[in-house]
Amino acid sequence: MSKTFKKPECLSDLHTHYCPGCTHGIIHRLVAEVIDELGIKGRTVGIAPVGCAVLAYNYFTFDFQEAAHGRAPAMATGIKRVRPDLIVFTYQGDGDLASIGMGEIIHAANRGEKFTTIFVNNAVYGMTGGQMAPTTMPDQRTTTSPFGRNVKEVGMPIKIAELLSALETPGYITRQSVVKPKYIVRAKKAIKKAFQYQIEGRCFSLVEVVSTCPTNWGLTPVQAIKWAEETMLPYYKLGEFKVPE
Amino acid sequence: MEIDLDGIVIIAGNYGSGKTEVSINLAVNKKRSGIDVCIADLDLVNPYFRTREVKGLLSELGIDVIVPPEKYLQADLPILSPVISGMIRQPCGLTLLDAGGDDVGVNVLAALADSLGGKKYNMIQVVNPFRPFTDTVKGCLKMRSEIEKASKMTINGIIGNANLIDETSVEDIYNGYDFVKQLSKESRLPLRFVTVAAALMPDIDTTRFHCPVLQIERQLVPPWKRAVSIKPVI
Amino acid sequence: MGKVLMKGNEAIGEAAIRAGCLNYFAYPITPQSEVAEYLSRRMPEVGGMFLQGESEVAVSYMLFGASACGERVFTTSSSPGVSLMSEGLSYISGAQCPAVFVNIMRGGPGLGGILPSQGDYFQATKGGGHGDYRLLVMAPASVQEAVEMVMTAFPLAEKYRNPVMILGDGLIGQMMEPVEFPDDLASEPVNKDDWATSGMDTRKSENRNLVKSLYLSSEELNKHNLHLKAKYDRMRREEIRYEKYNIDCDYKALIVSYGTMSRVCKTAIDNLKKEDFKVGMIRPQTLFPFPEKAVNEAASKNSCKIVISIEMSMGQMVEDVERAVIGKRPVRWYGKCGGDVPTPEEVIDVIKSMVKEA
Ligand SMILES: Cc1ncc(C[n+]2csc(CCOP(=O)(O)OP(=O)(O)O)c2C)c(N)n1
Ligand code: SF4
Repeated sequence: MSKTFKKPECLSDLHTHYCPGCTHGIIHRLVAEVIDELGIKGRTVGIAPVGCAVLAYNYFTFDFQEAAHGRAPAMATGIKRVRPDLIVFTYQGDGDLASIGMGEIIHAANRGEKFTTIFVNNAVYGMTGGQMAPTTMPDQRTTTSPFGRNVKEVGMPIKIAELLSALETPGYITRQSVVKPKYIVRAKKAIKKAFQYQIEGRCFSLVEVVSTCPTNWGLTPVQAIKWAEETMLPYYKLGEFKVPE
Repeated sequence: MEIDLDGIVIIAGNYGSGKTEVSINLAVNKKRSGIDVCIADLDLVNPYFRTREVKGLLSELGIDVIVPPEKYLQADLPILSPVISGMIRQPCGLTLLDAGGDDVGVNVLAALADSLGGKKYNMIQVVNPFRPFTDTVKGCLKMRSEIEKASKMTINGIIGNANLIDETSVEDIYNGYDFVKQLSKESRLPLRFVTVAAALMPDIDTTRFHCPVLQIERQLVPPWKRAVSIKPVI
Repeated sequence: MGKVLMKGNEAIGEAAIRAGCLNYFAYPITPQSEVAEYLSRRMPEVGGMFLQGESEVAVSYMLFGASACGERVFTTSSSPGVSLMSEGLSYISGAQCPAVFVNIMRGGPGLGGILPSQGDYFQATKGGGHGDYRLLVMAPASVQEAVEMVMTAFPLAEKYRNPVMILGDGLIGQMMEPVEFPDDLASEPVNKDDWATSGMDTRKSENRNLVKSLYLSSEELNKHNLHLKAKYDRMRREEIRYEKYNIDCDYKALIVSYGTMSRVCKTAIDNLKKEDFKVGMIRPQTLFPFPEKAVNEAASKNSCKIVISIEMSMGQMVEDVERAVIGKRPVRWYGKCGGDVPTPEEVIDVIKSMVKEA
């Protein structure tokens, strides 16, 4: 058990700014552990999104770039095209990736850009105060859907993993979660696999992570986990959606 | 030596080889020698410096000019006038088709295949060895095969159009001639003619050439320069 | 190698290669698409990289990512595309990354038209994107000058860690002129180990690098902006470039004009000279920094009655000319921006009537 408590070399000593019970911290840790284990710290470049994880660069100890809202996949493309030897990942929320940056992620995935995306789906815009996201659940109340998401007006939540799997270009697309320890173990395996595919120069890889945002959901961390399990997981099915041949 | 060309003549070549300037001057040259000439602007690739720019002038000389409908003249829409297929079906003394550059520019010819079907035509490649990609014989031959592939037609002649516009020297003309001569030999395609700018003509010893010479009165000039004035045919 | 005959757009692409930049991202738009068409053939020949992005927005961030990891990179576009790149330009400037942007301007606003224009003067020199950033803006008047400006743009972008913009009108991209690629303008990229996210192993360093434009504390952000301002002030001291034309005589009018418009003005000035009507011209080669002092001095000449900004826009550069002249002489504007470039004859008429009224 001792290894669980050892801080990964890739994580800095700074305390994160995330709310209590927020799952961003767990996901950061998984990414850091994987990069440690793969021994790629010295050639990794991370790209922070605009969203709650905008300051992610403070918590990792390797090279980082900070993107504009939604544009991380284009920056990652820029890096990989001129420095294919670097290991690149974007870390993006659902507003960032599934709304304003939808064009960038689809085209990067479709070109088969050889970087990794960690996509944090918390069904809400966290940073700006809990507005509706493309991934907000039907009837879910947010600050811009005070009566609940009306799917007749704004459509159903977007399933990014399924959507990207529909592309013909080979890729590794999986949906994981971190709301329970057993999910965390699997999520880490998936993240590792995603980076391995990149290291081998195989394909684009994306790990969607179903997460919580207790603060903007107006729930305690424990209630938030329950809500994610009961409301999100039946809709956002976990599993591997696409693996390269 | 007279330029021996009539019927349907398609002027092709790499991008920026000078097809349009050559077409315009060839049209004027033939008109002056009493032949009925019509010319169609098939350049859907180039946004500026196209035949349509000199439509007025050519019409004044009695040359039929077919360009996209007036209101689309300055559009970058790939508009092919339906009149063109009619013009191909009933060609006049010299029917010049000024195609766009490279293989992409002649794609449009494949679209005219129905009208061209069975008709005799000459497709000629304009070559300026001072242009990138056609500065070697190999480059010219590659361009030829790309054009032929895209247009589904066969090139059967070469026009030498060596020039650096205003900075062309007599030496450049002679070197350009030697270049297309070599190209003609290696490609087994006849050299139909070479071009020389009007201003340079007095300094050129044309007896050096074993082919006709087309004098170029430059029409496609930027706004701060004046086009060489073309006198109407008497 | 001797001269070759090239379209401006092709020459711009080749110039970047000769300058030592082998990375190019772009999105097609008339009248600059020939750059991408040329480089899609040429880059593979020289072991370079070309990627057609899905939009100009994406392209500007591809430049950001590539530049942030230390590589030379450039793009070309035309007005509507540059509007989309403006977001990226703001971020790249804020994050202090070198990159070269070329705008082959067409008529606007909106979709406008595909013919030449200089309507993006404000966008290039005063912002376009948000925040207090500036681009170093150079405006070529010939294909040869476009080549030289592109080649010098890369070291300049690196000197200032700031994007450089080449602002050419449609004619610069479309016209053909003989060009040469001066070998002495080729340059090696500077060492960027102190800031670029090139990978810690690449730099053999224990310290990570961070490229960002976010400064959450007001104090830090103000400091950051003061630092940027100091760079822009240094550009004002060190990078101003302009050409004087017919300036040693007692001219009655001073023209300020740039790009291909200035070539029309030259023809007009030459023709007027034959009538003994003297007109001088300052042609800014850098639009930011603007040659304020030169314009002011030239306007101050006793014989000079009026200063005329002649541009293919509805009066944009004229505001910088006014700032430069500071009321010493009346400043007028003349221009067209539908795509028809004013002719030398039109310019002559305008000069004569404006001088008469002054
Ligand atoms: C162009 C632009 N528009 C809007 C914003 C404001 N904004 C910042 S973060 C954000 C949404 C973030 O939500 P998400 O991506 O889901 O990440 P989370 O905060 O939930 O982790 C928005 C709209 C911005 N920064 N830039
Ligand atoms: S607002 Fe939500 S996503 Fe953001 S840090 Fe707090 S809990 Fe996490």
